[in-house]
Formats: sequence, structure tokens, C-alpha cells
Amino acid sequence: MTDINLDDLTHLQAINKKLTSGYHISEQDTLMWQELDQHIDAYRALFNALGHDLQHDSRGFYYFGSDESTPNMGKISRAIALTIYILIEHYANTGKDPMRALFDEVNDLELMQTLVQINKHLFDQLEIFSGSDLRKDVYLRMVRLGLAREVENGFMLQAPIYRYIDALMEVNEETYLGDDD
Amino acid sequence: MIPAKKLLNTLTEHWGVLELLFKRFKMADFSLKDVQNAIKQKQPSWSNERIYKETNRLLNQDIIIPLAKSSQLEINRAIADFATFLLQEEHLGLAQEISVLVDDLARLGNRLAKAGEIEDYDELRRFSRIMDDRVRKIMKLFAHNENAILNIVEQAKADNAVQSLQKRYQAVIEAFDEYIEPMLEMVDIRGDFHACFNTIEAQISAQIEQIDRLGKSYQDKRMLEQLRTRILEMHLVGRESLRKSADMLMPLREELRRNNLITRQAAKVLGLVRKNGVDNMLSAVQPNFVSDAQRFSLGQQRHIVAYMAGLVDFEHDEYQLPEHDDVPAYQSPHIPDYNDVKTQFRKRFKKASKKAQPLLSFLDESYPDLEADEMLFLYQKLISDGDLEISQSQEKVKIKIAQQHFSLYPFNSSIADDKKATEQ
Repeated sequence: MTDINLDDLTHLQAINKKLTSGYHISEQDTLMWQELDQHIDAYRALFNALGHDLQHDSRGFYYFGSDESTPNMGKISRAIALTIYILIEHYANTGKDPMRALFDEVNDLELMQTLVQINKHLFDQLEIFSGSDLRKDVYLRMVRLGLAREVENGFMLQAPIYRYIDALMEVNEETYLGDDD
Repeated sequence: MIPAKKLLNTLTEHWGVLELLFKRFKMADFSLKDVQNAIKQKQPSWSNERIYKETNRLLNQDIIIPLAKSSQLEINRAIADFATFLLQEEHLGLAQEISVLVDDLARLGNRLAKAGEIEDYDELRRFSRIMDDRVRKIMKLFAHNENAILNIVEQAKADNAVQSLQKRYQAVIEAFDEYIEPMLEMVDIRGDFHACFNTIEAQISAQIEQIDRLGKSYQDKRMLEQLRTRILEMHLVGRESLRKSADMLMPLREELRRNNLITRQAAKVLGLVRKNGVDNMLSAVQPNFVSDAQRFSLGQQRHIVAYMAGLVDFEHDEYQLPEHDDVPAYQSPHIPDYNDVKTQFRKRFKKASKKAQPLLSFLDESYPDLEADEMLFLYQKLISDGDLEISQSQEKVKIKIAQQHFSLYPFNSSIADDKKATEQ
């Protein structure tokens, strides 16, 4: 039994608010991350008792695990997934090291426009028709979920993106949900 | 025969042009026009006549030579090799080149040993010289290949390279598969290379010993000693060079392997997505997020639509209809348990079987509180019970039970002796 001293958990309120909204706390959120890191047992026990599943990923982020999304969140998640996979392909096609470029390069509006132009067919399915749509519907939401942060003239992706890369490696022919069922 | 000095002068004068041709066409051929263009590019002030003259000079001195049966030209191979050396534009050689030389070395070692046996010192010297030459060649190849690998690594690491990832790393993969791996196998302590050198070393040592013993041709001993040292050194240098090359290539190869996996997977998934649609393909694997705010609201139209869509599949838990046999018959709460009645009946009529007793009067006596229909229920149960011995009377009788009159052919408790007669 873990003894939880609520007085120690100084950022509980902020952390709870962030995590319950689907936010990923990564190392860039210094205060909250340190707090979680120090009192991980207490937080885990507390959140478990509240019916949440606090996950710590060793690549440097915390989040609440969940088995299913609301329809809206599912749609957002698919849009993010598609954007990231297209980014990887784009970097590879332009001769960059995709994994390095993914986390080191600033994603500016120009890049977004290029991505949407090249993959119009795919983004159309998600009702994303322009670079600014992509910015609004995907990048700003990634910021809200802690997957990216806003920098001077664009966005930088953060460690929680690894969840999508893990998911990428899971996809295979069998994952396909056919129309026939 | 063109004087070497004249050739060198031309080379110095036209080095810019040659470098340009070399870099632009690598080892491929080019036309006379290309040469003239190159000269013009380097010396824009020259007149056409001068350019024509200089081109002829390059041709006359065999620096540029025509290809056989073609009007195309190429750089003289010797000059090209020299340029390669000067420009450090080295291309990775094959592991086979080295292994052929090593095989040759082994052959020469045998010849040398034979020459020593028959004390043919001229032959001994000759083979020793050739072997020396081969060893130098191998050393040169090692150095050359190491440089080439360095170039490959630098090229692959250059971030602004225009080539695609695939192309960029292709050289790395090739270098690894075609040079490093076979070479490492060869210099392995149990490999051919090692065995071959052991033999050669033993052969040369034997020769030196013999010379020592016989005291003949003392200068040859020095030469053989040098050869032996050189071979040992070559072995060492080769291993060192290979290790360095492998160390340079290894991280790139690892990086490539990882990148390749992710890139390939991304391309594959996008391909599937293009074919099958975003939602179909990604729904199953997308990471899920907690979103309490949304979870408990049904605000937007599409939520309602989703909800209605969900209703289509709605089904009640299936209701299990009871089987006919499962239903217990209705029993009035007043009616005593049938089993009790039966036992009571048995007890009463066990002995007194001389005279038939009407069942109904027994029931009327035993359960005076019962209603008529309730009594008839028990009556009916008793007469249809196969365990009890009862008989039906032949005459119609009127009986009053519970203030009700009945006329029937009543069943009575059976009489032992004429049971059969009364049964119908």
C-alpha cells in the first residue's frame, strides 16, 4: 500500500487536468514532468484508484492509456497518424534521415502546404484541403495533446510521436478492416 | 616516344581541363566537341583556332585517345589512374582483387622454395622480387580501399546530399557486402589468408636458414628477410585497415537498417491507406487518447449520427420463454400437500379393506375445510395415481361434499378379494 501525501503532490491539479484531456506530459513540460518523475508511485496509485491508467514511456513521456477513443478523437488520431507517416515518407524521399528529421526539423506552413499538395487524395478523406487546414486540424491539436510544441515559425514534434511510430510498425495486411464486414 | 617532360608540361597546362573531363565523365567516353567546350570553359579568352590547336596537342600526345572504331574519345588510362591518385577519387576495389594477389603470392612462395632447393639463386632472387612487388600492390590496395570507404562514408553522411536515402546508402551496403565482409572472412584467423601467410613465412624462413647454413649468397639473405618483414607487416596493415573501414561503415549500416525499416513500413502503410482508405486502414492501430470532456457529451451532429448508427445494431438480451413442462400447476394455497394426503390415505385403508370406502367421503372427513373444487382436485389426483389400489363403483351415486351435490360413479378404496371384478 502506497502512502500518498497529497501535500507532496503540488502539481496534482495541473497534471490531472492535462492528463485527463489526453495530453502527453513530456520532458519539455519541465515542472510537471519532474513532479511526475519524483512521485511516480504516488501518482500511479492515485490515478489508478480513480480509474485511470497512467502510462510511463521510457522514451520520455507520461500519458493516460485508453483502449478506445470517442469518434471525434479517433478521427483526430487518424489525421495525426496519416500526417506523421506522410512526413516520414516525405523526408525519406528528399534524402533526409527520416527519424532525425522528424524530431529536428521545424514543420512550417510551407512544408504543410507541400504535404497536402502531394497527398491531396489522402487528406481529402479527412477534410483537410490546404496547409492551413493541416495546421489547424492536425498541428494545433498535436500541441493540445502534447505531441508537438509551437516554435517561432512552425511546430516541432516531440517524443510522444513514438506512439505513432509503434503503431506504424504494427500495421499489416491483416489490420485492414474490410468494407465487407 | 613523347618526351616525359613535354607530356608533364602539357598536363600542367591543361590540368584544369583534364580535371573537368575526369569529373564530368568519370570513366566514360566523350566527344571532341566536349573537349573543346571544356577548354573554352577554362580559357574563355582563347580563339577557336587556338582551342583547335590545343585539342590536337592533347590528342597528339596521347593524353586523350580515340576509342577503337569510334569517333568518341577517352582519357588515357595511365593518365586517368594518375588523376585518380591526385584527386583521391578512389573507387572501392573488390575483395577478389586482393585474394587473387594473395593466391599468386602463395604460388610464388612455392616456386621460391623450389628454387631454393635446387640452389638456383637467380631464380630465388627473381621470385623474391616479384613477391615483393605483389606485397606492395596488396598494401596499396588496402590503402586505396580504405580511402574509398572514407569517401563513401563522407558522402553518405553529407546532410545536404541531393540523392535519395536509398541511393545514398547503396554505396555503404555495397562496400560492406562486397568488400568488408569477404575480406574479414579472409583475414580471419582460421581463413585461407592466414594459412597462406604461415606457409610463405615458413618457406622464407627455411630459405634464410639454409643460406645461413651454407654461407652462400649473403645479399639474398637480406632481401629475403626484408620480404618476410614486409609480408608480416602487410598482414598487420591489412587487418588494421579492415577494422578501421568496418568501424566507419558499421554505424551507417545500422542507421540505414533502422531507417529502412521505418521508411519501408511508412511507404507500405501509405500504399495500403491509398488503396483502402484512411479510416479503414488506420482505425485499428491508431493510438487512443483519453478525452473526458468529449466522452460524456453528445453534442455534435456526428455524435448523434454515430449514436443512431449504433442503435441499428441494438438488440435486447434474448428473453428465454419457459418450456411447457417447467410451469408448476396452479395450486390453491389451502390444498394440503398431495404426498401427505396419499400417506394418510394409505394409512387409513391399509387394513380396512372388507368394504369399499368412497374416496370422496374420506376426503370430506379428513379435510373438512376444503372447498368442493379443491376436494375434487385431490380426488382426481388420487384416482389417477397408479400406486393406489382403487376401484370404480358401478352405480351412479349422489354425494354431498362441502355443501355441493355431485352425482358420479365414484371411486372407492378397493376391496382385496373382488378387485378384479370391479375393475373396468
